[in-house]
This record gives sequence, C-alpha cells and structure tokens, in this order.
Amino acid sequence: MQEKIKDIEKQALAAIEKAATAAALEEVRVKFLGKKSELMAVLKSLGTLSLEDRPQAGSLVNASKSIIETTIKEKMTALLQAEQAKKIEAEKIDVTLPGKGIRRGRIHPITQVMEEAKSIFLRLGYEIAEGPDIESDHYNFDGLNIPPHHPSRDMWSTLFVSDSVILRTHTSPVQVRVMEKRKPPLAIIAPGRVYRRDSDATHSPVFHQLEGFLVDKKVTFGDLKGTLTEFLRQMFGQNKKVRFRPSFFPFTEPSAEVDVECVMCSGRGCRLCKETGWLEILGSGMIDPNVFKAVGYDAEKHGGFAFGMGIERIAMLKYGIDDIRLFFENDIRFLEQF
Amino acid sequence: MKVPIEWLKDLVDIKIKPEQLARLLTMGGLETVLEADNVLEIDIIPNRADCWSIRGIAREVAALTKTKLKTKNFKLKTNEISKNIKNEVTVEVRDKKLCPRYMARAIENVEIKNSPEWLKKRLEQAGLRSINNVVDVTNYLLLELGQPMHAFDADLITERKIIVRRANAKEKVTTLDDKTHELDKDMLVISDPNSAIAVAGVMGAGNTEVNPKTKTIILESAYFDPISIHKTSKSLKLRTDSSIRFEHGVDWQVVKEAVDRGAAMIAELGQGTVLKGKVDVKAGAKKPKVIKLRPARVNQILGTNISNTQMINILKGLGFKVSGTQVAVPFFRAADVYREIDLIEEIARIYGYHKIEATMPNTSFPDKEVDQQDLFRNNLRQILAGCGLNEAQTYSMIGPADFEKTALPQDKAVKIANPMNIEESLMRTSLLPGLLNVVEHNHNRQMENVFVFEIGKVFESAAQKLPAEKWLLTAAVTGSPFISPIDKGEADYFFLKGILYNLFSALGISNYRFIDTTSHLIQPGQGAEIAGLGFVGALHPDIVANYKVNKPVFFFEIDLHELIALAKKERRYKSLPKYPYVYRDIAMFAPKGIGNQMIISAIKEAAGHLAADVFLFDKYKDSLAYRVIYRSAKDTLTDTEVNSHHHQVIAALVSKLNVRIR
Ligand SMILES: [Zn+2]
Repeated sequence: MQEKIKDIEKQALAAIEKAATAAALEEVRVKFLGKKSELMAVLKSLGTLSLEDRPQAGSLVNASKSIIETTIKEKMTALLQAEQAKKIEAEKIDVTLPGKGIRRGRIHPITQVMEEAKSIFLRLGYEIAEGPDIESDHYNFDGLNIPPHHPSRDMWSTLFVSDSVILRTHTSPVQVRVMEKRKPPLAIIAPGRVYRRDSDATHSPVFHQLEGFLVDKKVTFGDLKGTLTEFLRQMFGQNKKVRFRPSFFPFTEPSAEVDVECVMCSGRGCRLCKETGWLEILGSGMIDPNVFKAVGYDAEKHGGFAFGMGIERIAMLKYGIDDIRLFFENDIRFLEQF
Repeated sequence: MKVPIEWLKDLVDIKIKPEQLARLLTMGGLETVLEADNVLEIDIIPNRADCWSIRGIAREVAALTKTKLKTKNFKLKTNEISKNIKNEVTVEVRDKKLCPRYMARAIENVEIKNSPEWLKKRLEQAGLRSINNVVDVTNYLLLELGQPMHAFDADLITERKIIVRRANAKEKVTTLDDKTHELDKDMLVISDPNSAIAVAGVMGAGNTEVNPKTKTIILESAYFDPISIHKTSKSLKLRTDSSIRFEHGVDWQVVKEAVDRGAAMIAELGQGTVLKGKVDVKAGAKKPKVIKLRPARVNQILGTNISNTQMINILKGLGFKVSGTQVAVPFFRAADVYREIDLIEEIARIYGYHKIEATMPNTSFPDKEVDQQDLFRNNLRQILAGCGLNEAQTYSMIGPADFEKTALPQDKAVKIANPMNIEESLMRTSLLPGLLNVVEHNHNRQMENVFVFEIGKVFESAAQKLPAEKWLLTAAVTGSPFISPIDKGEADYFFLKGILYNLFSALGISNYRFIDTTSHLIQPGQGAEIAGLGFVGALHPDIVANYKVNKPVFFFEIDLHELIALAKKERRYKSLPKYPYVYRDIAMFAPKGIGNQMIISAIKEAAGHLAADVFLFDKYKDSLAYRVIYRSAKDTLTDTEVNSHHHQVIAALVSKLNVRIR
C-alpha cells in the first residue's frame, strides 16, 4: 500500500515535470488528482483496511495528494507567467509611431486675443454690444464730435460706400448707438471689425478693435486709470508698468494714450519699442460732453470714460509677429502655431 | 514737425538734457523723438493748432518747466522819405467769410540773393531747403510763429491791385511747383485784375514768383477760413506747410506780428526799405473767449484734489488770463479751447496724468443684456476646432474675380466707392470665395490638406440706407484630416456631415433635414440643402477648376441667425432607461432612389413606440444592414413582443419601399 502510494506520487511528479504547457499540466492534474485517478481509487479502498491501518494509510494518501497539488500549483503559476510574458513580448509595439485620429483645429490668433481681452472686461462686469460694419457717417463721425470737413476726420483714411455711408473706421459708433437706446449706468464692450484705406506691414485695410465705455453719475479720470491698468496687467502681466499720456481724440476730453512697458526689452529700449521702452496699446479718455449732448444725456449729471484698442497690434506684440498681413493669409503653417 | 533745440532756446530757457526734454514733451501730450543734431521730431496732434510753430512748442516747454517765454525784439526800418503802401498797393477782399483778415506790407529796393549761413542752417535743420533771402524769411517765420506768409513780386501784379475772391468755375492756375490746377467756386484765390496769383493759403502761382530780378516785394499775411483751406487742399491734393497751419486755424494776433517782423527781416537781409504803413482788411475785431471754470468740477472729473492756486498757475503758465473763475483764452488756443472741459484737460496734462490716483469705478451694473450671439459664435468656434477645422479670418472685401470664379451673383454686392484695389472693391456676400482663396494659397505652398472655417459677416444692398448684414459660418475642406498619413482616407461629403452632426448635437438641434439641392455651387448628387440653414456638399468641379487646387473641395455654409434660432437654450434631464434593450437586425437590398433616411423613417413608423433607436450598422456595396433597438419603459421585453413588432417592420419595408430582404 505504502509503496503503491509512493509510486503514484513519483509518477505524478515526473508527469508534472514533463508538462510544458498549462493545458498539459491540467491534464496531469486530472489524471493524478481527478475523481477517476489512482490516488482517489486508493482513498476509496481504505474502507477495506483494518481499523488500525486506516489512519496511517489515510494520512499517507493525503500527504502525497498535498505534495502533488502543491507542485502542480507552483508549476502552473510558473507556466502561466511564462505564457503571459511570451504574449506580452509578442504584443510589443513601436510606441514612437504616430497616433490615430484627426488633427485638431485651431482658433485664429486674433480671435484668441480678442476673447482674452473680452473675458477680462466681462469679469469686471461689462456686457457686449455690437453694431454694423457698414455705418452711416452720422454714427462714425458726427455723433462722435467729428464734424464734416474738420481736419480731425483725416485721422482716419476712410473707405466709402457713398457720401454718407462708410465702412466704420472704429468700433466707437457702437457707443453712440447704445447710448441712444439706453440710459446709464452702462458698462459696455464692443468688439468688431473696422476698416481703413491703408495697407503695409503694420496696417491692414481690415482689422479688429475692442471698444469699451462706462457711463454713470460719477466717473473720474482716476477710474479710467484704474480700470485700464487692471486690464493691461491681466493682459500683459502683473509686474508690467503702465503709463498714461495726454493725447487727442475728438470724442474724449481729456484724452489719454496708454502705454505698457515693452514686452521685448522690459523698458530698457529696443527696436520693437523704438528705443522708448514703451508700447502704445490703448487710446482712451473721458467721454466728451458733445458726445453726451448728441445722444441727449446731460453732461453735467453724467460722466464716463471710453477706450479702444487694436487687437492685431496686441497679437503682434504678444506673439512677436512682424507683418499684420499674415493674419489674413491664413497659411496653415501660421494658424497651426497658435 | 522738426524743431531744432538751438532755435527753441532762442524762445525759452532750457536747462534739461535733450533726452529729458523729449520725454517731458511726450508726457505732456506731444509725442517727441530726439533725432540727430539735437533736433526734436514732434508729432502734432490735430487739435493743437498752436503747436505748429516753434514758439508754440516753446510755450509748452515753458508751461511744463514752469519758466517764462523770452521775447524777441526787432526794429522796423522805414524810410522817412519813402512812399506809403496805401498809395502803391490796393487790396480788395471780396469774401470776408473765407478771408476775415488780410494784411500786407511792401518792401522796396530789395536785392534778391542767397540767405546768410545761419538762416540756411536753421531752415535745413528744420527740414526746409533754402531758396533765397525773401522766401527764406517767410519760411523762417512760418516755422517760428506758425503764420504762413507769401511774398509777391509787386511789379508782376497788374496795377499792383490784389483781389481776394472765390475762384471762377474751372479757373486754371499754375502753382509754384509747376502744376496746373482746375479750381471751383468754393475755393479762394488771391488775384490781380487779370488772373489768380495764388491759391489762397495753399500755394502761390508762378506768375508773380519772387525771382532774381525782383525789386519790390508785397508780403501777405492773412487769416483764412480753416474749413475752406482744408477742403481746397484736399480736393487739389496739395498739402503744404502753409495749408496745414491755416486749416488748423492761425493766431489772429500773430497775423500782424508776422507781417511786421517779416518786412523788417526782408529789408535787413535784402538791404531794402519797408514802405510806411500796412494794409489790414478785417471782417471785424476778434475778442478772446472767456470760460467759467469751477474748480470743484475739475476735481470731480479728474478724481483729484488740485488746489485753486495750482489750477490758476497752470493756466497762466499756458498763456490764459485768469480773474476769479473767469478764464480768458489766448488767440493761439482759440481753435481747441472753448469749453470748461477743455480747460480741465489743460490742467490735467500740465498737472501730470501720472499724479492722478488710479481707482476702480464705483458703479453698479444692472440691466445686463448678455449678447447671446457673441457667446454663441465663440461656442461654435470651439466646437469646430475640436472637429479638426482651423479658424480663418479673411477680408470682408473681395473682388469681381472672386464673384466670377464662384459664379455668385454680383448685383446685390455693396460697392466701395474708393477701393484700394479692384481685389478689395466689393463687400462679400458669401464667405466661400475668401476660404477658397485660403485653400489655393495653401496649395500653392505645398500644403494639400486644408481644413478651414470662418465665422463672419456678409453684406447685401438693401432698400434702407445701410446695407443688410448677416453672420455666416462657412467651412472648406480638402485632403486628409488625419494626424498621420498612415491613416488613409480624405475629406468628403460624409466628413463634413459628421462635423455637422457633432455641431448640431452640441447645440441641442435634432430637427434638421438634408434635402436635395440644385445650388450651382454643388456637384449634382454630392450635396444637400440643410433645410432652412444652408448647404453642404462637394464644390462643383467647374468652380474648383477656377482655382489652382488639384483635389476635390467640400464645403458647407450656414446662416447663423437661423442656427441660433434652432439651438436649444435650456436642457432638461431625461431619466436613464431601467430595462435592457432587445435588438433585431435586418439585412436588405434597397432599390435605387430609396435612401437611408427613408428606410429609417419607415422602420420607425412601423416599429412604433418600442423602437428606441434605428441605425445602419453595416454596408457592403448595395447590401444594407439595419439594427432596431427595442426597449420598453415599463418592463423587460419578451421575444414574443419584439418579434410581433419586428414582423410588422419587415412587412412594411417590403410593401412600402420594395426592398429585398436578405
Ligand atoms: Zn523694447
């Protein structure tokens, strides 16, 4: 009996040793540990033994069974690991091959800059208003304190549709249109295309402006400074210096040109800033009483400021673009840089 | 304007370095760049008529540095035995509106020769060429005082009679630059009894030009109506140092000062004699404007605490006369200072913008009208970029060739009266031509995969004054959209339709339909009208042939106004299905003319409310396989229930659409 058990164990261990795959090992398991295996037959035959011999024979069978089970388990783990490793080896890929899918599109750099500028004012509580690109000279000039034949009309080279209809030269007509319809307080930004009869590396016949204005009972020049300083710092960086210079616009009085510290040289002076250390970014000022008068506001009871900026210019400074015409060529190699 | 610092120092003491001077003027409102030889290049802003002279700049320097102007003395040498101008020259001003003041002096026995070196050098530094001792004097004083003058050869003026009159219609005059101009009745000329001898305030005529033989000079100094000079200069395309100053308005008082000094200088440099007396024809006396200034108002607008004394000192430093709250404006500022707000600006800029404290407005922002359109457009851009399209920005103006190449009708296009060139002479009525130019531009540069869209306005002539404007969304695509060329396949109708599917679903639009189109832009059978919204399809090969593009181009164009009307503004949650679905597949051959949409509609109709979804899941040549998803909201469907519905579906497909079930 004892010998028979040992013999079975020996055969089993040899078969386990020989099994090269998980499937073969499973067959070994069935053969030596299955219901129909020799070992199970021995176990069943224990009942024929005497009561004294039974426990010893029983423990012998169980010991062998346990050895076989453990050996199979260990071998199985090893075989499965080897098979997994083989599979993994076979499934290796060149991770440097390109990815699948379609190329993403880009938002035009002008839109990106416009959206950034708009979002700053929207956070400050401004709302958006729009007006037509093709304007009457009333809204583009007269309503903004630029009378006919006044030399200040020459500040803009205008594209005409007829004597009194033009392509708007700035987004400022929206100011007049909004004030005509609504009462203060107003805090408005007006984004849009504007047109000039002008074309070279820094002038485009079509470009974009963001205009803004705020009208309330008491608005000061200090408020204009505070608002635009906040805007420029958010746009160009918190540590950038900002300066306000007297200037002239027919629709504001006092007027101010707003410069930001040069983005290239940080104020030391370079070609970009024409050695001045400053970049002109915004035109602004307190809304001229004549503009209020034209829309029926009482200039004594209301105050306000207005400002405007060219988006292409800001984008050129921000991205280091030296020719404005690139924006409108839409070369894919250009667009995909943004 | 070029201002030599040496010259400036004649008029005001300057103790700061040239660089500092340039910065000071810039921060005071006159953008100034220091150039070689200590010459300042100053950008004169349009409202500052007074700054078109070196004395005007000196006045600014004086106000900014808190010093006083120097005064120049000159002697007017008149010969006691010489004649009086009144007996030698007659002046008749026929239009006193266009010429409110006309002054003249005469100088005899003048020797015309080169100017002395100091004078030549000054003019050259200021950017002018020396001509002779007489012309140079007028230029010198034009620069220093801002008063343009003109010197005539008295012997070339018929009867020595000067008439200031409007030009006759089509009157011709040949100016000093040898150009002949045709004038009209709105233009003012200086004339003798026979012909015009100058276009008033703009340029003299050759017929009375000072020349080497000239002996007697009549020196004119006048005030001409600014608007009239502006119009004349603009329509003759003749912008001169003289017209620039007149159109901004010269100093009423300096008209006299200039003619006196001019006569004295000419006499001195040409060894001549100034005739006694002068001509001074004026429309009336001018009085300085007086403005009431409220100091509290100044501080309220600026947000400052400037004292009354400070305000008064600033204004006095600029040449204003102040008594109490009354401020008298000097003649040289008459053109730009006529209201209290103009005084406030003067105070602010001399006080220094940098000293005004930056604050945030104390404003409440009620009644906000959030612009949905703008937000909506921005949303669209994000969706389309995510779908693989690059945003383009093309000019709003296109040319007749663009209309011809796309066969778009030109009759309603808005025309620009003064275009820069023919390519930018018409306002676009579609975004397609601009985008096709973008496709071509890129193809010409070896980039054959072009995926672009634009969101922009188009324009059409309308019955009312202003043309109609509307926003469109247009896309044009050609080539492969994939990151890598390993992935095969090129853009086609279905690529764009996929984008539209994503676009519509992002906007919550489900009720769109693709229907047959006869648009001339679309290759027949390869495109559709998106009902009420626009078009999508293959660009007609006849149009593609007009561009240097060797691949098919696909496009869509959508009316944004219509799109936003369909877009869902608000969304509501629908509860998720509780029970599993059961599906059945149908494979079939459909007869020609029976399209996907018709089959799906027929299936849905026959399957009734249990059909949760129907879609094409396989397609091989003419064989189509549809899957019908059955689901009930009440319980798990049994096979028997589903089968009874599905039999109806198959029967309906066969009977209604005549399909052959496989
Ligand atoms: Zn710089």
